[in-house]
Parts: sequence; structure tokens; C-alpha cells
Amino acid sequence: MDANIPVLFRTYPSRETHSGCRIWEAARATSAAPTFFKRIKIGREQPFIDGGLGRNNPSRVVLDEANTLFRDRPIGCLVSIGTGHAGIISIKKPGFLQQVFPMDVVEALKAILTDCEATHEDMQRLFANSSNLYFRLNVEQGMQGIGLSEWEKLANVEAHTAQYMKRKEVDEKLASVVNAIKFPKTQVTVEQLGMGISLIN
Amino acid sequence: MLGRLRMDVDTAIDYYDDLAKQVFSASKRWPGDGKFKATKLEELIKSAVGHVTGDPEQPLLEIGDTSVCRT
Repeated sequence: MDANIPVLFRTYPSRETHSGCRIWEAARATSAAPTFFKRIKIGREQPFIDGGLGRNNPSRVVLDEANTLFRDRPIGCLVSIGTGHAGIISIKKPGFLQQVFPMDVVEALKAILTDCEATHEDMQRLFANSSNLYFRLNVEQGMQGIGLSEWEKLANVEAHTAQYMKRKEVDEKLASVVNAIKFPKTQVTVEQLGMGISLIN
Repeated sequence: MLGRLRMDVDTAIDYYDDLAKQVFSASKRWPGDGKFKATKLEELIKSAVGHVTGDPEQPLLEIGDTSVCRT
């Protein structure tokens, strides 16, 4: 498969709509996390694998899509919510895993680790001159020990999140987010931000 | 769940909690291409889609009201 072409599953009409796809198929494809579930084929397409495309933080993709759909309209704000998982997925030593899982899956796992924060840094640069348009919320502390499949730790996730939201700077950021959503500014379009080139790449 | 199915946050958490419990509590005996059963995951997603929309095979593309949030 070509892991370099991201596929967007849209619920609205577009020139590139993935026609004929069902809700459950899209949900299944986007949860095909490497080593967790096998890949899924939809129609005659290639199998899908989640997270292998370096698009685990979809901010850039969203801006590009918004630019296509609403070209002349100003951007109200972009709120990016992380899962607090950066750094938790450890790659097992070579051996059993690498014999069982194809190499592109192992590569996909590595990509997730660096992808999210790099995109956040790109966004900070892109919005450097536009205050209160871009916000990133991510519970950095406490989630490291919680694996993707550890459903019995949901209460811990809740506790760490509550702790995070109590922090003064986070509380202030949330107030700014609410303000930006309620009273959107109208001074800049995605195109004006976007340096005139496609943001995907 | 929040997007196409338009669940409220509390309902989405309830569905996720139940789904995660059922999917991740039983790992496959031979992991092969994935540690957990994709068929179980599929069954639970379809059931959630069926509950909310009335049809487990509901298409992703939403026809009609264009004023609603695009996801």
C-alpha cells in the first residue's frame, strides 16, 4: 500500500467524496491502529491503516480542507485537542514483533510518536502573528502510563484531565477558546495564513 | 460519535466505555495482524450506528441539511 496518501472520510459532499462508504466502515478504518486491529478494505480500495500517514494531528489537513470549502471566509479559530498519548507507544525490541508485523506497520508506529508535536509547532509558526486563533489542549502529564487498550483506566484519564484543566494557564486558555468561539474574529482567511501553498506535505 | 452520529459528550463516553471494555478485554490467542478482534469491534460499531440512526449500514455521506457541522 502507499502509506503516503491520506484518505479523508467526509460526511458531506466534495469532489473527492469516498462514495458508498458506510459509517461503520469509516469508524473501523480510522481505528485500524497498527498492531491493534487488522486493516480494513473498503470496496475495491487498498487496505486502510490508521495513523501510518503522519496525520495523527490533523490540523494541517483541516486548514487545507477549510481553504477548499470556504476560501473567502475568515477563520474563527482552530482548536486542537490532543489525546495526551505522545510518547507512550514503545516499540518492542526486534524479534517476535517484527517477524509478525510487516515493516510498514512498525514504521507507522514510529511516525505517530513525532508527528503530533511537530504539527503543533508548525501551527504555532503559522499563527504566530494572529493572536487567539489557534489553541492546543493536551494533557501532557500522567497519561504516559496509560496504554491505548487499557479501558479499565478510564477513571485515571478523567482524573488527570480534571487536574490539567485546573491549572491556571489552562483555565485562562479555555476562557480564550470560549471567547474565540462565541465572538469569532474576521480578519484573516486560511489562504492569507497559508503562504499560498498547499498545507498538506 | 460526536461528528456524524451527533452524540452528546456524555453519551459518547458511555458508548466508548462499553465498546473499549468489550473489545480490549479479550485479546486474540494468535495475534497475527492485530492483537484484538476486529470482528468484535465491527459488531459494536454497527450496533452503535444502528441505535442512533436506525440502520447499522447507514452511509457516511449525510444528505439534506447543509447548515449542520461538517465532519
